[in-house]
Formats: sequence, structure tokens, C-alpha cells
Amino acid sequence: MTGMIRIHTQYQSRFREITGIPGETFELEQPLVSELAWKIAGKYGDRMESLLIDRETNELNERGTMYVDSKGRRVYMEDRLTDGETIAFLIGIAGG
Amino acid sequence: MMESRLLRVNLTTGEMRAETLPHALFERWVGGSGINNWLMWEHFLEHDIHCDPRSPDNVFVFGVGPLAGTGSGSGVKGRITFKSPSYGIFGDSAAGGKFPYMVRFAGFDHIVVTGRAPRPVYLYICDGNAVLCDASHLWGRSTGETHALLQQELGDYPSHTHTLTIGVSGENLVGMAGVISDASRIHARGGGGCVMGSKNLKAIAVQGSGGIKVHNPQGMLKWSADFRRRIDANEAIYGFKRRGTLGAVEMYQHIGSHFWRNNQGCLFRGDEVRSDNWVRKYHKYSEVCSADCFIACDGRYKLDGSESPKAAKYAGESFRRPEYLTTASAAGALDVRDWAEVAHWGKVTNEYGMDNQDLSCSISFLMELKEKDLISDRDVAELFGRSQRLEWGNMEDIEACIHDMATRSNLFAELFNDGPYWGALRYSQRKGQNFMKYATYGKGGASFTEEMRPFPTWMNNMAVASRGADHLKGIGLIEKFQRRDLSKRYFNGRTEAADLTIPDLKGASTALIENQVALINSYGVCLFHWMLDPAGFAPEEYYQPAFTEVTGIARTPEELMRDGERICNLEKAFNSRLGLRREHDTICERWMYEPTTEGMYPGSVAANMFEPVLDEYYEWRGWDRTTGLQRRDRMEALGLGDVADVLAAEGALARE
Repeated sequence: MTGMIRIHTQYQSRFREITGIPGETFELEQPLVSELAWKIAGKYGDRMESLLIDRETNELNERGTMYVDSKGRRVYMEDRLTDGETIAFLIGIAGG
Repeated sequence: MMESRLLRVNLTTGEMRAETLPHALFERWVGGSGINNWLMWEHFLEHDIHCDPRSPDNVFVFGVGPLAGTGSGSGVKGRITFKSPSYGIFGDSAAGGKFPYMVRFAGFDHIVVTGRAPRPVYLYICDGNAVLCDASHLWGRSTGETHALLQQELGDYPSHTHTLTIGVSGENLVGMAGVISDASRIHARGGGGCVMGSKNLKAIAVQGSGGIKVHNPQGMLKWSADFRRRIDANEAIYGFKRRGTLGAVEMYQHIGSHFWRNNQGCLFRGDEVRSDNWVRKYHKYSEVCSADCFIACDGRYKLDGSESPKAAKYAGESFRRPEYLTTASAAGALDVRDWAEVAHWGKVTNEYGMDNQDLSCSISFLMELKEKDLISDRDVAELFGRSQRLEWGNMEDIEACIHDMATRSNLFAELFNDGPYWGALRYSQRKGQNFMKYATYGKGGASFTEEMRPFPTWMNNMAVASRGADHLKGIGLIEKFQRRDLSKRYFNGRTEAADLTIPDLKGASTALIENQVALINSYGVCLFHWMLDPAGFAPEEYYQPAFTEVTGIARTPEELMRDGERICNLEKAFNSRLGLRREHDTICERWMYEPTTEGMYPGSVAANMFEPVLDEYYEWRGWDRTTGLQRRDRMEALGLGDVADVLAAEGALARE
């Protein structure tokens, strides 16, 4: 199928507990973070959706979480993705 | 009206006096660290602020904020405040647990200790009464032993006994000695344990059965129920409950934010410690650090010996789960690659009562000198009084260094007991060589063991923090987590604060978050309920109703932010009286000029953005850019005209 891109995901901490796997690969028709996010939420259900997506704004949830591309840049729903990119889903915590 | 009491203890005379803290004090300083700061400020209006911090002229203040123990569910933090013996400037440190609210149940919110006891004592407070007791049987004991003996001695009536204790390091006036709360939670930074030791104060033990008066209990219960609902609805917190701050291990490994081998690198090595293995293999018991926390992130381990190659050596050992910085200091700074050894490092430093950040940065500094052949085996033998390998990750070697430091038994301990900055300086002078480029510090304070060079706000935090390099006063979360939403919210729709690659709004972010953290510390609650952001990140908003329900003090969020700013300005004023100026708001050479070589942000150095960020910080603070000093107009706008008068009389206020 033309136009499809493959995006790899890495899950840490709570994300890995919900998915049960350290990462996987998705094929997307639209090269957008929003498509990836909704696919993940759809696959893993309410808990993942609650973790991943701010239900008030339909934006990626920024509270206590962090999603970065392979260059360490945070991604947002409207961002475009390139074929082969890896997005890491992290819990944002510092100090201790 | 806020009802609260202060206990004053003069250890020289043995005199003790209870006072009522006026409501106006809470109006001005909120509580907790805000009032602690003011009590220390007042003390040093009557005592020489330039005194030796180990002398009887220093003061030791314990305080807890008005929300602590009220059922707010926000955790509890007690705070100690003093002139730091290790850095010679403002010093304070927080720790959670049950001790802080037990002090409130015993009838006090603050304790001010002055003078020096003629012989070792402990302070025992029980339901409004206080007495000084002989501590000769406790002297020389570890923090765990001391806690257990006091519990045995004082019993469980009218409540369990809770303690603040120092270990052998505090008794020996080691500058990096901390104070241990209930045998396992440390007030680590700045040398509070050394101050207690200098006063011959081995411990404070409390028992309390009184309640805490709340202005509007029904309103507080309603607020608390809503706060709990928000926490329970936040999925991110479920991961935090099991890991606590160890959740940072994997995240930092991903982005390159660890502090490896004296910050020569920023990634952990060794499969064991760079993964989520703690939760999989070691986490045996979850614990609630205080009865007033809806998260409960604490945990305890007990090694059966099979967990890792080194675990057998520690079979049967049980202690509190290491926090991230315990892990970062061992697995990062010292390159210890086995979780059992990391946990053991945490236990041993707690038993001796020492800050593992100062200690690990001091040892790793010397390890790097040895690795680079800048010092010889003979130099090492001179430092330690024996042959010592100073080998990365060698836990036997490291444990010997811990013991040396706590007992102050050799040249290494004499030179480095005030942390890596003073240690490196003293050692450089002694050897006639400049080793400072290998020391990691900010404003003379030890680094906290995280990689910070890619993060301009954090570099600014390390330079300007009132107690020296500090990750808990101006936490650079907007930038590190690239929170565009927060940048927009606080900076009129601008997104630059969330962009790591530019200096814009980084100094402003430091000022903003310092004010917020000052508020949280003054409420007396835990930072993580804010950091995990279940309620919208703004402590000036979501804690505002709780503060009013508890104290009866009506405040708008804007007024609370000004309260936070006022508290930060008093800490600044303390340091200005000691002669600190812009040139002291600086960081070490490694961070400034030596690029990172790995992780997601290679090639990062602080120098690229340091000065513009510092300029912007002063601008947002309303301080003079050239000198770094405060201005009278801003001080008066914050209601600090009296503080400005003191500064002006000592030439420590910016000229008009």
C-alpha cells in the first residue's frame, strides 16, 4: 500500500505495564502523531487513553508524561512523522 | 486565626520556652520554610551572621507547614534551616515521613535551637512539654540504632516515638552530615547534621496525641476528597506509586540525563541498573511514608541474596528502597552496576547520616584524578592513610571511603568533608596543581548527580539556588519535559520556555518555579504531588483553597505567588549579607565548557546560554544585573522594606 509509514514505539514504566511489551511497530496512513496516539489508545483501552490523551483538549496529555522522538524533541498531535521514526513514551519525573 | 506554637531551646543554658506564633507571621511567610527562614533571619540580626557555622552562634530551626498532617493527602515535609557549615551560606533541607506531623501533634510547628549543650543531649517533646535528656548512651551510635533505642526508651504512649537523629558523621562535625528522620529519610543538603553535632544535640524525639486545629474542617475535607479524586484519575501516578523517583532511571537513560563517572558521561552502564529491574526484582514491600499522602510511593527491600551477582553478600539486608539520587550517586557518579550494592550504599550513608550527593561527587572527583593519572598511588596513600584502589564501581573501596568520611579519620575526610568544591580547592592548594576543572559544583554546592548541560534552566538553577547547586528549588520542569502548555500559560502564550535550544524564558522559568516551590515548601507538603501534575501544575491555585480552609487566610493565586517570591527574596538577602554577588552565581568548569559526548543532546555546554539566562533571571526577579543585588523598590513592593533596610546598612542592596 502506498503512502503508509512505519513508526516504532518504545514504552517505559506505566506505558509498559499497560501494554505488556517494551515496544512495537505501527503502520500509519497519515504521517501524524495524532494517528499514532489514537491507534495506541484504541488498541490498549481506557487506561492507555487516559494516560496518553487529555480528554478535555484532545491533545497529548502533558501531565506527568513525556513523548519524544529520536532526537529528544517532544512531539505534539499535529506533528508530522517520517517513515522509520521511533517515538518513546516516558513518564516525566525528576529529582529524588 | 492560625494557631501555632514555637519552641525555643537554648542548649547553652538549658532554658526552653514555648511561644505563640502570631497569625501575622503566617500572613507574611505562609508557614514551613517561609517561617523557618524568618526565624533564622531574626536570629542573625542579633548574632554575627559571619560566625563559624559550627559555633554555638549558629541556629538550627525545624519547621513544618500548615497543611502538613491535616488530611490534605499531599504528603508531609519537615524542613530544617541553618547557616550551612559545608558551603558557608544559607542552608536548608527537607525530608518527609511521620516525624514532621508528629511534632504538630505534640503541640509545635517550629523548633528553634541555639547555643551548645555542655554534653550530648537529646530533646524530648511530648504533648506540649519539652525536656533535655542525657544522650551519652546514644553518642557513637548509628542513626538506626539511635532511633531504635529512643523508641525502646520512650515507648508507644501517648503515641509512637518519632525521631530526628544524627549519625557518627554529625558527631564528628563532617560538613556533609545530614539529619535522619525516623531512621530512613534524610535531610541531606547543606550539613544540618553537622550543625546538630556542633550543638551536642544527638536527636529530637517526639510523641504527640493532640490534633491539629483547622479553620474550616468541613471545607478541608471537601477539598481533600477532590484532590484525591484527581490523583486517582491520573494514570501516570500509578507507575509512580511502585517506582517513586526510580521512575527517572529509564527516562534519564533514554534522553541522556544521568551523571556517570563524575559526569564524564550521562548514561548508566550495566544492564542491571539502567533498566526497570528494581521494580521487577527488588521491590518487596510498598510503604506509606506518612499517613497524609494519597500517592504512597515509598518502598522497602529485603535481599534474599539471589537477586543479583552481588546480592549474596548482603543477604538478609533490609532498608528503605533507594531514591533516584541514591541510585544516581552510586550507579552514576561512582559507576556501581549492581542494584544490591546501590541499595547498600543508600543504607550505609543513611546509617552514618551523610549526604550521598556531596560524598559521591567527592569520591568520584578523586577517582577521575586517579583514572587520568593526575595523582599517583603515593598521593592516594597520603589521602587515605593506606593503599586504596579508587576504582570505579568497587563497592568495598567505596564503603571504606564512607567510613573514613563519617569518622573523619584521614586527610581525605579533612579535605573533602565540606563537599567536592571545597575539597577540590583545598587539595589543589595542597598539591600546587589546579584540579578544579574536575570538580562538579554550583555556587560552591555539590552537584546533584544528574546531567544538566543540555538544559539551560537547570544550569541557571545550579548557579542561583540559595543553598548552592540545587535541583529542588528551581526545578526546570517546563524545559526538561518541554511543557509548551505551561510555557504558554505562564508567559502570555509564548512557547520558548519549553524549547531547550534557546535561552529565552529560561531565567524567567527559574524565577517562576522557585516561587512555586517556595510556596509548596511553606505549605509543608511534598513536591511530587505537584510535579506529577494531577491537578494542573499550579500550586498557587489548587492549594489555595486548602491553605484558606486550614489557616483562615484568604489569598488569591497572585497573592500566593508573591508570597513565594517574598520567601525567595529573604533567602537571597541572607546570602547578600554574607557577601554573595553575581560572581558567586556560577557553575563549574565542566558544565560550563566541556561538551556532553553522549545521550540525545551531545555537544551541549552551559556557556552557550549561561550569561543571557542569568541576566534574564535577575530581570524577572527585579534584581540588579551587574551586582546581582536586590533593589529597594522590588523589596518594598513585596513588603520587605525592613529587610531592605538591613541590606542597605550593610552595603548589600543595589544602589539606586
